[in-house]
Amino acid sequence: MKLMSMALAALALAGGTAFAQDFPNKPVTIIVPYSGGGSTDLVGRQLAHELQQIWGQPVIAENRTGAGSMIGTAHVAQSAPDGYTLLVNTPAVATAPAVQKDLPFDPKADITPIGMVATSPYMAVAGAAVQSTNFKDFITEAKDRRMFFATAGVGTSSHFTEELLIQQAGIEADIVHFSSGGDAQVNLMGGHADVYISNTASVMPYVNNGQVKALVVLGSERYDLLPDVEASAEAGVAGIDVNSWVGLFGPGGMDPALVDKINADLHTALASESFQKVLSDNFVLAGKDNATEFKAQVEAEMDLWKALAEERNIVAE
Amino acid sequence: MEFFANISLGLETALSPVNLLYCFFGVFVGTLVGVLPGLGALAAISMLFPMTFHLEPTTALIMLAGIYYGTAYGGSTASILLNIPGTTSSAVTCLDGYPMAQQGRAGVALAMTAVASFFGGVFGILVLSMFTPVVAAWALSFGPAEYFALMLLGLVAASAISDASLVKGLAMVVLGVLLATVGMDPQSGTARFTFGSLSVLDGLSISALAMGLFGVAEIIASIRNTETRRLDPKAISLRSLMPKRDDFNRSWLPMLRASTIGSLFGTLPGTGPTVAAFVSYGLEKRLSDEPEKFGKGAVEGVVAPESANNAADQTAFIPTLSLGIPGSATMALMIGALMVHGIHPGPNLVTQQPSLFWGLVMSFWIGNLLLVILNLPLIGLWVRLLSVPYHLLYPAILMFVCIGAYSVHYSAFDVLVVMGFGALGYAMRLFGMPAAPLLLGFVLGPLIEQHFRRAMVLARGDFSALIERPIAGSVLAVTGLVLVWSIWSGSKASARLKERRLRIEDED
Repeated sequence: MKLMSMALAALALAGGTAFAQDFPNKPVTIIVPYSGGGSTDLVGRQLAHELQQIWGQPVIAENRTGAGSMIGTAHVAQSAPDGYTLLVNTPAVATAPAVQKDLPFDPKADITPIGMVATSPYMAVAGAAVQSTNFKDFITEAKDRRMFFATAGVGTSSHFTEELLIQQAGIEADIVHFSSGGDAQVNLMGGHADVYISNTASVMPYVNNGQVKALVVLGSERYDLLPDVEASAEAGVAGIDVNSWVGLFGPGGMDPALVDKINADLHTALASESFQKVLSDNFVLAGKDNATEFKAQVEAEMDLWKALAEERNIVAE
Repeated sequence: MEFFANISLGLETALSPVNLLYCFFGVFVGTLVGVLPGLGALAAISMLFPMTFHLEPTTALIMLAGIYYGTAYGGSTASILLNIPGTTSSAVTCLDGYPMAQQGRAGVALAMTAVASFFGGVFGILVLSMFTPVVAAWALSFGPAEYFALMLLGLVAASAISDASLVKGLAMVVLGVLLATVGMDPQSGTARFTFGSLSVLDGLSISALAMGLFGVAEIIASIRNTETRRLDPKAISLRSLMPKRDDFNRSWLPMLRASTIGSLFGTLPGTGPTVAAFVSYGLEKRLSDEPEKFGKGAVEGVVAPESANNAADQTAFIPTLSLGIPGSATMALMIGALMVHGIHPGPNLVTQQPSLFWGLVMSFWIGNLLLVILNLPLIGLWVRLLSVPYHLLYPAILMFVCIGAYSVHYSAFDVLVVMGFGALGYAMRLFGMPAAPLLLGFVLGPLIEQHFRRAMVLARGDFSALIERPIAGSVLAVTGLVLVWSIWSGSKASARLKERRLRIEDED
């Protein structure tokens, strides 16, 4: 009996592998849960382009926006786990479920993390009303004058990382929600709000144009691509160990052999010259994880943000 | 001298054969998409966005921008001819445009719209090319408190927009504001009236609401009118299309005022052409000596919103290009088209990429000229559209409305929203409830709420801090004055009416 079930399992595995080798034999859709022209959309479109070269099948990037990326994510969660519907998403895949109670899917069981596409640290930028030019002075200034932290919206990664920084730096501050990252930063420029945190791709254009000041990179070490910006640990603010990323996902319950194949093809795509250029334009590094490592990271972040949301009472009941 | 060097550089870029071709392509697609109800600039630009990967950034932007301001020209055509707005920002144009068409002045309305659109567009480009750095810096000084005050002024100024009774108008504004509260609370994250559905977490779609209320309701209503309006195509002579001297005399001041208002709202990210069209219409109605003519085919009620939305479309490029801040989803796509090529728009764009900036500005001139050339001779063609039997025309329009609603988010739910608002719009017609105030409340309600809540957080709950801010305080004071003035003039008008009635009774 035992032998029989083992044989069956082996057969199933072999069948799965055969299926994975055959993949893809029809067009693949990559869902981008953000609107066109944004940084995730650019990375997602580039990925679709490169995978199309590798697979020899059309790979279409489709924008399904709304509900802090959860509309597109739910669409993928409810698709067949055959690899023909994929998703690119950011840490929103972990932060949004921490504030949205009515999701029609289980963020852990119904989504398969496949691999990390790109990663960069989070960066805090300061607006016109902030005097300090380094992080240590900033903490002193923030204890002197209660600051306004601007977010890109309730439950976005900017909201969560700001809560985390306020907690770890031991300062008191007010959170004010704007409708997008651009909206938040224009209010920094006008001096209406003080600090905004997001990934390097979202803030660096404004830093390079001298519209906002780079304050600090969240984490224990400086970032390779921006060595002049100090890390938060240097000013004695420890316990922040999160990075921003763009990841590739599929529906829950995908065949592990298929997941590994797509992860391998993702890394082939990332190695191409054209993709490297898109990544460096956006101040991000290519992902290196295999699917298991990426899954562990995503699930750890889901737990972290959920705990923080409860601890700091982020969502009004 | 540098200004002229810039202009010649811009002209050189814009007049290159490739750029000229894409400019024409853009405005042509824009007009077409604008005329078709339901399909808007966002849908068209999203579809053509991947094309920009293979174009020079300047060329890509010239094309996308052409689609964008082209829709503003085309959008009014369906408003005037069919009482169905082609785009949300031309919904206000229905109010007087359609009555003009019913009076047999469709050609005049279309011609004056083209003139007004050109005037507004040119005004916007002038502001864009002369004052971009100044205006951008000035826009930065607008925080949530200033936005709140300005939006409140807009609501008060435009609230008298409808022809129906004051109570009905106010009830519809309030209904619009209430409908706009659906979705996630902007400051606390609480889901309001979503009934657990993810589809409405971002609120109801504005284009779905506008298409349902105006478009589908109009189609349902006309099914009941069994007698088809027959129009003899031969009766449309070039002469009947020509506006009279009187039309021009009445229009130039409203066009000037509306272009100023449009330029202002275009510059402020997040407000845009729809708000500008509403506010300028409301203002013209208040300033007019014969406000009772509005809603019954007043030419001012057509030229004001059309100048305003075209001016706003042009000045929307000021924050986009000089701050790198998109004011709308469509503008975010424009920035995306530049980011693909590694250009991050910001304060240095004008100096670092002069051929891009000035080429684009000059292409706006060319594009607007092309649009007038494209639209004026086509008027006869559009008017002939009225002679197409409605049993053929309306199913086609309904199809485009559904495609348009679906294409924004690839969401079947939005199609249902259109149908739901179609039913509501028809019910409102039966009870004589005006639709325009509802749309006004729906557009301005959430802006007022968001900015007020933000302003209150930033003032740490102290309302007096809001009034003490110089710009916000003055705008709020003006709002108060407008409110007092409208109550006073309203009571004076009703007193005059009563007096007149009494006099008639005396004479009897």
